Formats: sequence, C-alpha cells, structure tokens
Amino acid sequence: MEPMLQGLALVVDPFNIFLILCGVLVGVLVGALPGLSSPMAVALLLPFTVGLEPVQAIAMLSALYCAGTFGGSITAILINAPGAPPAVATAFDGYPMARNGEAGRALGMAAVSSVAGGIFSLAVFLVATPLLAAVALEFKPPEYFALTVFALSMLASISGKSSIRNLIAGAFGVLVGTVGIHLTTAVERFTFGVSELTDGIHFVPVLIGLFAMGELLSQSQVLNVTYERITSVVIKLPSRADFRKVKWTILRSSCIGTFIGILPAEGSTVAAIMGYNEAKRFSKTPEEFGHGAIEGIAGPEAANNAAAGGAMVPTLALGIPGSGTTAIILAALIMHGLRPGPHLMNETPHFIYAIFGAMMVANVMFFIIGLGGAKLFSRITLIPRTLLWPAVFVFSMIGAYSFSSSSFDVWVMLASGVIGFIMLRHGFGPAPMVMGLILGRLVEVSLSQSMIIFDNEWHRFLESPIVVLFFVLTIVSLFWSFISRGIQRAFARPDVTMERGD
Amino acid sequence: MAEPEAQGSGGEGGATPSPLIHRTDLWLAILILAFCGAAWYVTTTFEQVPDVLSQNLPPQWFPQLLLWTIAILTLIIPFEHRFLAGGAAELDKGRRTPVRPMAWVTAVLLAVTVQSIAIIGTFLAAVLICFALPLLWGERRWKMLVPFALLFPLVVALVFTQFLKVYFEPGIFGIEF
Repeated sequence: MEPMLQGLALVVDPFNIFLILCGVLVGVLVGALPGLSSPMAVALLLPFTVGLEPVQAIAMLSALYCAGTFGGSITAILINAPGAPPAVATAFDGYPMARNGEAGRALGMAAVSSVAGGIFSLAVFLVATPLLAAVALEFKPPEYFALTVFALSMLASISGKSSIRNLIAGAFGVLVGTVGIHLTTAVERFTFGVSELTDGIHFVPVLIGLFAMGELLSQSQVLNVTYERITSVVIKLPSRADFRKVKWTILRSSCIGTFIGILPAEGSTVAAIMGYNEAKRFSKTPEEFGHGAIEGIAGPEAANNAAAGGAMVPTLALGIPGSGTTAIILAALIMHGLRPGPHLMNETPHFIYAIFGAMMVANVMFFIIGLGGAKLFSRITLIPRTLLWPAVFVFSMIGAYSFSSSSFDVWVMLASGVIGFIMLRHGFGPAPMVMGLILGRLVEVSLSQSMIIFDNEWHRFLESPIVVLFFVLTIVSLFWSFISRGIQRAFARPDVTMERGD
Repeated sequence: MAEPEAQGSGGEGGATPSPLIHRTDLWLAILILAFCGAAWYVTTTFEQVPDVLSQNLPPQWFPQLLLWTIAILTLIIPFEHRFLAGGAAELDKGRRTPVRPMAWVTAVLLAVTVQSIAIIGTFLAAVLICFALPLLWGERRWKMLVPFALLFPLVVALVFTQFLKVYFEPGIFGIEF
C-alpha cells in the first residue's frame, strides 16, 4: 500500500500535474492533426525529457499517449480525416453522424467511451502488472530469449499490409541494433571505421527519423488536400438512452482493447478495428453501421483507449513493448537509466503506481479538454501544411541534435527518414522496425547468456516449460494471419484494412 | 509478366487471374537480397576471435542469422500477392503513383539544412528551413511566412535553451542564447 501512496503522491505534485497537462494538450493536438501521430510526438518529445526526473518524463509521455489516441477521434468525426490510425474506425460512423447534425453527440460519445476504456484498462494495469512482474521475476535468460522471440513474432500479426514485410522490418531493426561493439568479444561490427558508430546507433534519432521525417516526405506529395469541415458543434454528453444502447459495447470493447494491448507488439489500431467489428456483430441494428450508428463510435473508441493502458502492462512488467508508442516509452525508460521489466516493479514499485496515476489523471484531463475544446482542436487542421511540417522538422532536428549534441545523430535521423519513407511505400511499417531495434539487443544478450548457461547445447532450451510455451506461441503468432482469415471467413465479418500501424 | 497495376487482386476472390510473380516485388526482393549479400560480406570481415573468448558465439554469428532470416522471408515477397487478402491491389495501394520529385527535392533541402548546422549554427539553420521549405512547397503568403520563419525558430530556441538547457550550435556567426 505504501508504494502506491508514494507513487500517487508523486503524481499530485503541481509541477508533475503541469507536465501531465502539457502531455495531454500536445497529445490531443497531435492526435487531431492528420499526419501527426502519437508515436511521432512521443519520439519528438523524448530527447527533451532528458532533464526531467524519470517519473516526470514517463508520466508526460504516457499522458501524451493516452490523449493522442483520443485526439484522433475529433478530426475523424468532424472532417472525416482520422488524426491518428486508431481513429480510422471512428470515422466510419462518426462522420456520417456529424453530417446528420449530430457531431456534438458523436464527440460526446467518443469522449465518454474513451475514458471508460482507458479507466477499465488502467484497473487491469493496476492488477496485472504486479502479477505479471512476479511471474517474470522467475525468468532467466532462456525464458527472456523465448519471450523476446515471441514478441518479435507478434510483428507478423500487427496492422499493416503484410506479415512477411512486418517480420522483415523487425529483423532489419534487430540488425541495425547489432551495429557497434559486440558485447561479449568487443569486436566492432558494421562500424566502417566511423567512430560515432562504435557505441551503436542511438535509437532516438532513428525513432524521430522513421516516424517524423518519413511522414514529412510523404506529406510533401499531398500538399493540396482539403477537408470538408463540420463547423456547427455543440458538444452533448450521451443521453440515458445512448448509454443503455452502448453499455455492453463499451464493456466488450474495453475487454478486447485491454487484451489486444497486453499482447506484445499489438496496438490501438488493431484493437479499434476489432472493437468496431465486434460492436457491429453484436448490434441489434447492424444495418445502421456506416450510416451513423452510435455503437460504431463507442466500440472503437473504448477499444483503442483500453489498448493504450493494456500496452503499458508488458512494457513495464516484462520490458516488452505492447505497441509502437510503448516501444518508444520503453526507449525512454532505458534512456533514463531504468531497467524495464520485473525488476522495475520489484525495486521501484512506486514508479509503476506513479505511471498508473499519471494515466488516470490524463484520462480525466482529456475528457474535460476534449469535450470543452473539440471545436477549437478541429480548427487546428486549418494550420497550413506548408508551415506545420517545417515546424516538425525544426523539432526533429533539435531533438536529434540535443540527444548527444552531435550532428551525426541529425544525419542518422535524416537517413532513417528517407529509409522509412521508401520502406513505407513498399509496405514495411516503421513500428515493426522500431520494435526490432529496441528488442534487438535484448534478443542477442539473452541468447548469448542462454548459450553460456546451456554450454552451447541448443536442445536444452526445451527443458523449460515456459520456453516451450513461448516457442509454441511464436509458431501460432507466425501463422496467425492464416488462422485469423479462417476465423473471419467462418464469421463473415467485414474486412477492414489499414494503411499503418500504431 | 504484367505490370503490377494490371495485376488482378489475387488472393481471395480476384476477378482476374494474377501472375505468379509480382514484378515490382521481384525487383524489391532482388534489392533486399543484394543488401543481404553485401551485409553478409561485411560480416566476414569482422575481426576473428578464438571460440573460447566468444563463448562459441562469434560476433558475426547473430548478424548472419538475421541476414538469413531476412533473405528467406524476402524470397516469399514476389509471390506474396498470391496469398495476401486483397492481393496485388492492396500491396500496390501506396506505390501506384511514382514518388513525386518534390519528395526528393525536399529530402535534398533537408540534407542541405543539416549540413549547414555546423557552418551557420542551429538557429540560423532553423530559420533557413522555415523559410525555404514553405517556399519550395508553394507557400507565397508572405505576411504569414516571414513572421513564421523568424519568430518560430526564435521562440523554439529561447524555450529550448533557457528552459530545457538544450545546446544550440552557435556556428560561424556565434549566435548563442
């Protein structure tokens, strides 16, 4: 009980509340702006949190993550342009409602469902994180190796065009992680005599490049896009009849979202699509979906926000990111000298509770800010892209440079951006590569340690039931696309494809 | 082989039969395999260490394992449209139109800006990009552009140097905050 009170006391510190508020404001703004996403914003903010205490930094980034997921729904409803990928499904019914003069009701439902999903997942976070951490405390290098391989295999099933391309991008990320001095032998690998590469490629410039620069180059090709805008917005909280209609949808989507979030590598986008599909499948009036069904907003919004809380569970308890954004939060933990995984819960439990408190406060804040400022936030899309993206570049440049005051990192950021742009064009998303980059070192280190423990006898991996379980799960996740297609056929669900992952 | 655009949806329910090999993806696969080959060669140039020192896992072993993984997965890419839901049409959605020259010109301008940091400093580099990039992208509303190009970098520089203690390269003009 004491660590929980310590953690919550940290959250109510006025400066920390201010940082959480900043995170929420930036999150809602970024979420609402098409093209900008919460992974990008978290990556951009990351270098600037160096001067903050770890709790403050992670609290701010977590708040941004929660709010960014909700922010996307504002523009999805008002201008039919999902500000963030998780809000794609919200636009299906949100925009038709807005066109029918019910924008306020749609926004109200989005806010309420988001908060409900968020709080539900945080309750699970509070219970599951210590339990998972207690189990993981027993993990030794072979178990960690198997768990990390499983997490990487989950890249096959995250959103995107193709499982194969996600896996290749993940493996490429792991490969980039091998640049620098080999831990066991101190041999330089892929350094080509460049002294800046001996410590390896820092993930911060790569993250900024992949998420921000890649998108900037994509946006340079679509400068003349205009949106039809719904301007008359009077926010309405859902009526009692609305609540009656969506209560089970919200509960179901919250469960789905939390579960999807907890799965390594899965993210809010997958959760939102599943939440939408399930809302439609269980609806008494499925024919209304796509024409302004209120459940069509409650389903994805509850699911995508629940996934945000759920994704924090494996990130903090196991050190395995639950989504693209939490991969960056994991990077932030490492950058601040923390050791993500069960030891974090064991050694600094108040830290975990502080993050829980920060996310809870963030949920309340974005409910108030989102409802009160929805009209204002929808207007930020009026900012000309010709000015918005140069501003993003300035932040990216300063962020990459400030990380270690090195121009080399800015070049890494730029190169990553160009590579990310080309990769995205051919269906290789940035999120799998980031996951690979961040998990890469853990895979190699745990494998090396395992081989030392096993005296180079590979078959001894199979002596541990946990390792075997993770290997079986790995095989299942690798073939998940075939399995899920079979399930989809069996239940004849509508097929919704996504451009990009969370 | 037909052009990717002309290829059927493949996979499930394709209206037209899709060819066995997707041409764009074939070139993509060749490119990735060439990269793997080159990277493999580089791994063979790593310094050799005795097995005892490397714990039987020499430094090139893990990168080579990854390169094998990438290469094997890459072999599937040219045929992927055959079994992917949505087929070639889904795969080609983002690359149907060629990359517009503006993207490459933008990349060059960004590179020039990064290069200029060491010469003119971070602040002036930020002013340069805030002015040049909107101009390149066709922005001609001067009353908006000029204040943006001057004030935005100034505010950012002040906030980041004063509050977040971020170091700005002063450049040859010695601009410091």
